[in-house]
Amino acid sequence: MSLARPARCLFCSFSRAATPITRIPRRQFHPTPASLSKRTPKFRNIKAASYTEEEQAKLAKVYSPEQLEAIKAGEAAIDPEDFAEQFHERTDPLAFKYLDDFSVIEPSVDRNVRAPQSNSDYNMKLKSESEFMEEFGRFFAEGPEDPTGADFVRFAESLRVTNGKEAAELDPHSVLVPDLFGPNETIDEPRVEERKTAEERGEKERSLAAEEMTDALKSLLLATGYTERQVRDLRTKTLVSHSVVNQTRLGKVRRAYRLSIAGNGNGLLGIGEGKSDEASDAKIQSQYRAIRNMQPIPRYENRTIFGDVEGKVGAVELQLMHRPPGFGLRVQYLIYEMCRAAGIHDLAGRVGRSRNKMNTVKAAYEALMSQKDPEEVARARGRKMVDVRNVYYAGKA
Amino acid sequence: MSLVNLASVCAHLNNATKARLGLTSIPNTKMHLALCQALQNSGYLSTVVRGGPTPPPAHPILGFPTANDVEPITRENIASRRLWLGLKYWQNESVLGKVQLVSKPTRRVRVTVEDLRKIVRGEESNYVAGLRSPGESLYVSTDRGIMEARECVEKKIGGQALVRVK
Repeated sequence: MSLARPARCLFCSFSRAATPITRIPRRQFHPTPASLSKRTPKFRNIKAASYTEEEQAKLAKVYSPEQLEAIKAGEAAIDPEDFAEQFHERTDPLAFKYLDDFSVIEPSVDRNVRAPQSNSDYNMKLKSESEFMEEFGRFFAEGPEDPTGADFVRFAESLRVTNGKEAAELDPHSVLVPDLFGPNETIDEPRVEERKTAEERGEKERSLAAEEMTDALKSLLLATGYTERQVRDLRTKTLVSHSVVNQTRLGKVRRAYRLSIAGNGNGLLGIGEGKSDEASDAKIQSQYRAIRNMQPIPRYENRTIFGDVEGKVGAVELQLMHRPPGFGLRVQYLIYEMCRAAGIHDLAGRVGRSRNKMNTVKAAYEALMSQKDPEEVARARGRKMVDVRNVYYAGKA
Repeated sequence: MSLVNLASVCAHLNNATKARLGLTSIPNTKMHLALCQALQNSGYLSTVVRGGPTPPPAHPILGFPTANDVEPITRENIASRRLWLGLKYWQNESVLGKVQLVSKPTRRVRVTVEDLRKIVRGEESNYVAGLRSPGESLYVSTDRGIMEARECVEKKIGGQALVRVK
C-alpha cells in the first residue's frame, strides 16, 4: 500500500480491486454516479483485418496473385462489425442460456450424422499413368528382394486403380440384383447353412420330432415354400384347447381340439384348427394349418389398424379400435396374442355378447381382415384422400 | 322435414346395395334430393335423376340416365316423380356402405361447429360418434343446404346431423 494514499478503512482496501488507480475520483464534477463495474467502451474498437508483410509473403507461397486478390476482396466485403461480433459472448436478450459458438457440430446434440448409405465417393478418380509408375517403382524399391510371380500377383491384386475411398472401388454401389446363390451353391444344392447338421451349427440337440422331418412338415414346406428354419421362426401359439365328442352307435368318441394362430410378427397372420385323438397331433395339425392360412393384414404405419372394425362369429360380437402410437395392446389376451403374432402394437378392443374363446379368435381375425384400405376407398369413390398425419410430419410420424 | 321418410330411405339404400342393384328409386322430396346430391358429390352415388314411376331411359352412350333424357316436370306429373339413384360397386363391394340415421324422428341431434370439429377428428361429441374409419362421413342439414361434416367445419357452420355413411 502506497503511503501517498490517505489512510482508509482496512477492510475497504481489501475489497477493492488491487489497482493503484482510485476507482472513484474524489471530486465529481457531474451529478451522475460513476458505475462501479468495469466501464465498457461506447464504441467498439474495430480493427480491420489486414495481413502483415510477413503473412502476405506466406500466403503468396500457397496462393496465386489472383487468388490473393480474391481473398482480400472477399475479406474486405465482410463488415468488420461482423468480425468483431464473432467469438464474443452474446449479451443480447436472444442470447442462448449456454456458452457455445456453434463452430462444431455435436452429433448427439445437433444432428444425427448418419453413415453414408452407399460407398460411392464423388471424388474418386482413376489413377494417372505416372501414379501407376510410382506404385510399380515402390514395389520394386521397397518390395521383396527377388520378386517371384506370386509376389507380383499379390501386388497386382492389391494395387488400386483409383484414388479416393477404398470401399468405393472394392465394394461399389450397384443397382443390379444381388447374387441369389452363395459360393458353391446351385439351384439344386441346398444352401450351405441348411446342409449343416444341428451339431455343426453349434445348436443343442432338439427333440426327436424336430430332428426328423415328418410328412406333415414336408408337405407344409412344399406348400408354403418356407424353409424349416423359417417355419420354426414363425410365431405360433395355441390359443384354444378342449376336447370334442362324437356320439356314435358305439358310444362317445372323444377327440382333442386345438386352435392355433401363426404370424411372422410383420403383418402376416393365420388361424388353424386341428382335431385328433392325440392332443399333440391336434396341436401340430392346427399350427401347420395356421401357417398355411397366413394372410397379410393391413396395418396403418405398421403398428395399428385402418379405422375401427367389427367382427361377428356366432354370438361373439367384437369391435377393434385403432389407437395412437404408444397406446399398447389393450385387448383381451386372445386378441393380444393375435396382435403380437401379426405385429400390431396399438389397439383397443371390446368383445360383447358372448366371449367364447374359439369364436372370439375367429371374429377378431374376421375383423382384422375386414379393414378398408383408404386408397381403395378413394379409388372407389373417385375422390382424393390424403393422410394428414403424413402431411404434417413429412411422413416421419 | 320428415325423418321418418329419411329412415325408410336409409333402410332402402342398405337393402338395395345388399341386393347389388344398379339403379334404385326413392321418394322425391327436396331433402332427399339435397342429400343425394351431397352423396353424389362425395362419390357414393353415380347418378341422381328425377324420373317417373318407371326407371328413366339410359343414355345411349353413357349407359345411365342423364338429366336431359328425363321428361320435364309439370304440375300434372310432379306427384308421381321419384328420385332414381345410380349405385356404385367397386371390387365386388358396394361403395355406399351402411347408411344410418343419426337424428331420429323423436330425437333430433343438432351439432355445432365445435362438435363437428371433434367428430371429424374421430372423437365423440354431443352423443354423435366420431368418424373413425377411412371413408366414413356424416351429413348435416344446415341453413346452406345439406353438406358433409368436413365441409361444414370448413365453412364453420353447424346444423342438424342427418345421416352417417360407413
